[in-house]
Amino acid sequence: MTGASTPKPAGRSPFLYGGLMLGSIGAVVGLAASDAINGSTALILMIAPLWLAIPMVRAANRRADASNDACGSKGEVNRRYVKRVAFFTSLYLAALALQNFVFRDYNPSFELKAFLALLPGLAIVGVFWAIGRLIIEQSDEFMRMLTIRQSLWATGFALSAASVWGFLETADIVIHIDAYWWAVVWFFGLGVGAIINRIQYGTWGAV
Amino acid sequence: MKNRLKVLRAERDWSQQDLADRLGVSRQSVNAIETGKYDPSLPLAFTIAETFAMAIEEIFERG
Repeated sequence: MTGASTPKPAGRSPFLYGGLMLGSIGAVVGLAASDAINGSTALILMIAPLWLAIPMVRAANRRADASNDACGSKGEVNRRYVKRVAFFTSLYLAALALQNFVFRDYNPSFELKAFLALLPGLAIVGVFWAIGRLIIEQSDEFMRMLTIRQSLWATGFALSAASVWGFLETADIVIHIDAYWWAVVWFFGLGVGAIINRIQYGTWGAV
Repeated sequence: MKNRLKVLRAERDWSQQDLADRLGVSRQSVNAIETGKYDPSLPLAFTIAETFAMAIEEIFERG
């Protein structure tokens, strides 16, 4: 009487794709660390494993359909979100690689330097846009609420960390951190929000 | 807010997924409403009532 029936999930495990993705990233990092490839090549090669996130999410959705465990969300909206994030993350890595290559081997003009410096930041803006679109397009009100809660936790987490760190930095107690790292802290905050969702609502949410 | 969703679903021999498909929401949503962790919006409450062919107050009551 409790929940859905539990047929055996078809297809490969999401952990297989996750393992392949981490293994590929590890291999690229290993090649870069051993100086077999340079930094720009490593960043370009990093793009390929990121696209394994798409079959990984599909496999996780299949598994969620076939079990009673509360995890994640499914549907076209989520697939679009994963594709958008994969695209902008690829763009981010490609922009970093291009920036690395041009700044190291050439002496670019001010305009080109400014353009290349803008690209990675705009790619991160794209990821924020993808999260915004997920909230707008999500027709399931409960899942939308979970995503909004995650974003609020991430915002509170990142802004609190930035405020505390900023004053400590002014007092010369901690080292300087470049501002783009606060976006990384925000993404980490999404993970914190997912854990809190799981504790309070029994499900991680969609992001 | 209390609700009789679990009982009504059991009377019809529907799984959470069956009800979720009828409502056009995720199974997690049905689970959260059923366990009282999430109160649905008025439009969703109306859809639930229509699905069970009952009035809202026959399904939901103040807890």
